[in-house]
Amino acid sequence: MTVHRRFHAIAGALTALALLAGTGEAQELKRYSATRQFHGEVRLNATIEFAAGTLDIGAGAPSSLYSMDLTYDASRFQPVNRWNAGQGAVTLGVAGLERGSMGVSGNRPAQVATVRFSPQADLNLSLAIGAAASRVDFGGLRLSSLALETGASDTEVRFSTRNAMRCTEASFRAGAASLTVLGLGNSLCDRVTFEGGVGSVVLDYAGVWAADMELQAKLAVGGLTLRLPRSLGVTITTERFLASFEPAGFTRQGNRYTSENNATAARHLDVTLTTSLGGVAIEWID
Amino acid sequence: MCKANRLLVATGWLVLVGPRVLAADPGYVQAAEPYPQAIPAATDPTLTIDIHDLSSPGTLEPLLLRALRESTAPGFALAVPGGLARLGNYSLGSGESHQGDILVLNGNADLYGRLSGNLVAVEGNITVHPGAYVSGSLLAYGGEVHQAGGQVTGDIQTLDGAGGANTPAPAATSGSVLVQALRNVAGLAGIFITLLGIGFGLVLFGRPHLEIISDTIVHTFGRSFAVGVLAQVLVLPTFGVLVLGLVLSVVGILLVPFAVIASVLVALVAVLAGFLGVAHVLGERYTRRQLAQGRLGSPSSYRYVLTGLVGMILLWTGWAAFGWVPVLGWIAFGAAAVATWFLMTVGLGAALLSRFGLAGHFAGRLIPPEALTDEYLWATPQFGVPAARRPGQHKTPPPVR
Repeated sequence: MTVHRRFHAIAGALTALALLAGTGEAQELKRYSATRQFHGEVRLNATIEFAAGTLDIGAGAPSSLYSMDLTYDASRFQPVNRWNAGQGAVTLGVAGLERGSMGVSGNRPAQVATVRFSPQADLNLSLAIGAAASRVDFGGLRLSSLALETGASDTEVRFSTRNAMRCTEASFRAGAASLTVLGLGNSLCDRVTFEGGVGSVVLDYAGVWAADMELQAKLAVGGLTLRLPRSLGVTITTERFLASFEPAGFTRQGNRYTSENNATAARHLDVTLTTSLGGVAIEWID
Repeated sequence: MCKANRLLVATGWLVLVGPRVLAADPGYVQAAEPYPQAIPAATDPTLTIDIHDLSSPGTLEPLLLRALRESTAPGFALAVPGGLARLGNYSLGSGESHQGDILVLNGNADLYGRLSGNLVAVEGNITVHPGAYVSGSLLAYGGEVHQAGGQVTGDIQTLDGAGGANTPAPAATSGSVLVQALRNVAGLAGIFITLLGIGFGLVLFGRPHLEIISDTIVHTFGRSFAVGVLAQVLVLPTFGVLVLGLVLSVVGILLVPFAVIASVLVALVAVLAGFLGVAHVLGERYTRRQLAQGRLGSPSSYRYVLTGLVGMILLWTGWAAFGWVPVLGWIAFGAAAVATWFLMTVGLGAALLSRFGLAGHFAGRLIPPEALTDEYLWATPQFGVPAARRPGQHKTPPPVR
């Protein structure tokens, strides 16, 4: 074979491979739904595992304990629906098939999950979100505890209406994620903990406060913005703080910052911040 | 049309038609609505489907499809442990009760009575009528579940069947393997084309630097590998010290983001330049041998990079073709990964030793810088007896007249 022909063969092979690269990443979308009727259950321990796609969580019909409508990429994922009757626990979501493919695609799967919970049962919710865009609204639900762990996601958590019961703890762990939590004042959570990696996080404490709250935040190198109602008495204690922190509207005593209205405020937020390189910003809201 | 062009056309047709052929379901045939009947549970059934646990419908799917496909075959028998199987429409009357699981193939299920067990309908709908009570779960595969007032204590699930659009071919094992292999090959092709583009760009705009990195690999292979390993060990601590130093020097805090970006860029450039340097070396070796045998026209750095990258990508072809085989696939992957890491480490070390090819005089401790022209190195022995006998090294006495 001459040099000329050899180059033709190489060009042909490259073209074919390029075409293959374009066709090899087609998604095989399937629909799956799961629901369980409400039969007077008092409590539901729910775990949601969602590897990739778009996730929407909120309150559903009273007649249904939970429901999930899922469109998933059957070539890479499979639906998860495990019920443990003894513990009143359910695990929902999608998990990877782990077929060992190269995974060179940068495309986010077009899979979508819509999960709804009963507004009548106390909800202990645990969320593990991977590379997803997720919207969670706890308005209308009875949230008793929340644990949210997210990787490289874009997550918005909203307490659009006041929680129907007292919530003991809400914990958030975010890696390289963009996380926004709105209306934490409505959550009625005694304690909020947050551990951040390199992402950007907003904790908004707007809402109807019913009791004092506590926030423990640990930051690596990410940015944390605290939005605080101006009527709130706020105390911030900093630990292992290397980054500069000079919040407006606070009086400093050592590593303790106290808002000017702390003594007279009806509701208080006690914040403990631990960070080395993270940036913390305070925004007052009226 | 020459052979290469015919090959190109044939490959193009294969690429265009292949996925469609694979996407089609060769074995799926939806039968006409069958006469309702029980499927015999022979003592030695051809198929057993356990529907007692419906928590993972995805794993149940291939079995359900096989049952549907074979249900019209004469003598078809199906065992449902702790239950029964039906073909065609099924109804549980209001005065009736059933203990055990029920599998309904190619028909609708209407529930009016009491069912103590799970119900799965394949290519059919399930309707839970008022007064019905199910102490179990329901799954409609390729159908819907209508809750018309009855009670269900378990999960109510629906899953798209194989007849729907945009669904995968069921139980097409050989097709799935082929698709996976093609995907792997496509992934490799994407990486190859990307590296080739970067390599050609490097040759176009910085060929002297690439050649210096290549020469460094050739002449200080061991040192390059050692430096590459050391660099991988020290990269994270160095980065940490850099950032910490900037933070502690208050003013430097502002530089942290730039330092992070710059560090990542430097690391990327070092790895890429080194990798392409290795490709250049491999390609040059191969091309020179071909030239010596008169098989190729002329040498060029483009050809070196192309040939070298082809060789390095070939390391992964074993995995691309046999990655689906349980043990062999892992071995092929491991071997290719180790070999690639080795070459990448050598390249990284060479890139660092030669300061990314900017240190023009660097290529080893024993060779004078002026000796390091590309052609000279290839054509001229540097050491040993051949070097000593090289013309021009020693003045020879003039011939006696």
